[in-house]
Amino acid sequence: MIKKILIANRGEIAVRIVKACNEMEITSVAIYSDADKYSLHVRVADEAYHIGNSAASESYLDGDKIIELAKNISADAIHPGYGFLSENSNFIKKCEIAGIVFIGPSSKSVKMMGDKTSARKLMNQNNVPIVPGSTEGIKSYEGAKKIALEIGLPVMLKAAAGGGGKGMRKIDKIEDLKQAIDSTKNEAKKAFGNDAVYIEKFIENPKHIEVQILADKHGNFLHLFERDCSIQRRHQKVVEEAPAFTLTPELRTKVTFAAINAAKTCNYFNAGTIEFLFDQKDNFYFLEMNTRLQVEHPITELITGIDLVKEQIKIAQGDKLTIKQEDIKIMGHAIECRIYAEDVDANFAPSTGKILHHRLPSGPGIRVDRGIDIHSDVSIYYDPMLSKVIAFGKDRQEAIARMIRALGEYQIVGVTTNIHSFQWILNNQFFLNGNFDINFLDKNFIKLLPGKWKIELDDKYENIAVILAALLKNKDSKTIPFKRECKPENQWGKSSYE
Amino acid sequence: MNDYTISVNDNKYNFKILTQNIIELNGTNFDVELSQLSQYSYLLKVDNRVYQITSNKNSSDNYSFTIAGYSYNVTVRTNLEEKANEYLKNKAKESGSEIIKSPMPGLIVKILKKIGESVQMGEPILLLEAMKMENEIRSSVSGIVKSIMTKKNNSVEKGESLIEIG
Repeated sequence: MIKKILIANRGEIAVRIVKACNEMEITSVAIYSDADKYSLHVRVADEAYHIGNSAASESYLDGDKIIELAKNISADAIHPGYGFLSENSNFIKKCEIAGIVFIGPSSKSVKMMGDKTSARKLMNQNNVPIVPGSTEGIKSYEGAKKIALEIGLPVMLKAAAGGGGKGMRKIDKIEDLKQAIDSTKNEAKKAFGNDAVYIEKFIENPKHIEVQILADKHGNFLHLFERDCSIQRRHQKVVEEAPAFTLTPELRTKVTFAAINAAKTCNYFNAGTIEFLFDQKDNFYFLEMNTRLQVEHPITELITGIDLVKEQIKIAQGDKLTIKQEDIKIMGHAIECRIYAEDVDANFAPSTGKILHHRLPSGPGIRVDRGIDIHSDVSIYYDPMLSKVIAFGKDRQEAIARMIRALGEYQIVGVTTNIHSFQWILNNQFFLNGNFDINFLDKNFIKLLPGKWKIELDDKYENIAVILAALLKNKDSKTIPFKRECKPENQWGKSSYE
Repeated sequence: MNDYTISVNDNKYNFKILTQNIIELNGTNFDVELSQLSQYSYLLKVDNRVYQITSNKNSSDNYSFTIAGYSYNVTVRTNLEEKANEYLKNKAKESGSEIIKSPMPGLIVKILKKIGESVQMGEPILLLEAMKMENEIRSSVSGIVKSIMTKKNNSVEKGESLIEIG
């Protein structure tokens, strides 16, 4: 039985994990860097330990220091959250050697899925459809050219060790291929320390649909349906929803089956996500497997009623899954908006500062997972995501209506946020009727910067803003500055030095 | 003194305070009542509806508000200040020089322009790294780079002058 968990993360996901620990009566341990002294995850955990400087490499990415601390405070498990060390197979291996339970898959599974070419090969061998292309790194230009012409242009070059949208290049003309191979290899070497690059067909305007799975250490596998994460900006997810409402029941059966198959091929256990691209003819292809908890896990929790973090902990301590596949039902629709500290109209520049005022939305169907609270700092060191607003409804329409309502209630002062811009997305016709793909924001929203997207919204409050501004200015002008009279008994600083 | 000019989202409004609770906005009268909840939060009653608004004062004439999920950056000046401001703006146009400032704290990764090079409005002029992301800083004017006030690998504060374009 796990009694004490060190949470090797920060922000909203660390807070989320603390909540699961609380409910299971497990001692939660936060770690924090200099910059996170006043962060929410430090405030809510049962214990908190300073781990290092603000730079992630000297704190949340310092695996040896974290394992050392876990041993010293007798934590029997480490939860990595997402990002940081969560998909680092070397770190997981070190936990395994140190005898600390890693709340996630084995280092072996992570390694198998971390290399994109070997993952593609594995999927191909096990009848999980992959994007047409090579299943090995490019060895020669001639070989690459042959494959490119075979599958047809345009093609993508991708780093085998890459992921999350980094180390990719699109090739439209065969003449560009040679140069592109060299520069992608170069980039991959720099970013991932591995210059292996492979080639795959470019899928035009696909949807990004991913399947959540759970597997225990006894060979039981479950899927928890899918999420549509197509609303992205430069490969960064912004809005996610579950289920993918454009999917037919037949396709849902097919893709969830493929996902479980994918997880089985790497002897997976714990929570994982298999990402697929859906082309416009409803063919789907394996993109990659995320061997960790996802940012957008709450929407799956809401539609299935299953607490994924608690399941992760139970699986890690060796429990068998008690849920049966046939008992998992889609109970409604959920949607998540990621609240970032950024100035949308200044080309999404990150915004930093102290949270000066914070009012959470509430009411039917609303959940907020957050890493901020009053007087916490938003620094330049980490991801600018502040919180996630998640809305649940009996159907998509109700979930969206609740989201729009909740975002109106949400108040944050101290940093600039993207809250206002969701009004554009959530009221957009293409979004509402499901006619969108992963290029939706880049194609339709970016061209409305700066500020023009606001014109497309029915602005109900501009008058009110104008009135408040004038009244505040008027109030200020009436404040008479304090004057100290020049009398001998009023000597400067007299009272304090007497 | 109770007449103001207010700019928001490229719109301009004329505002008059008639009595303590009655104001005139672009020719229409409203009943208003303001109460302060905290340094950053106000209740404003306009006719029969109450709004809870967050406010952050950026300068003596500029505020950021959020009202029901909508955010506004509002500039408010007395009519006299507005005239003075326009006069200064026209003067600056004549001398034709603008200083690009850093929109956030970060590290200068690369300066994309040299002194004497021409720059179009909206063109990237340098790369700034903040929060592990590279951000393109774009020019808000067209012109020639007159001076560069920073260097590669410098860390800069928000609002720090970077490049002068004229």
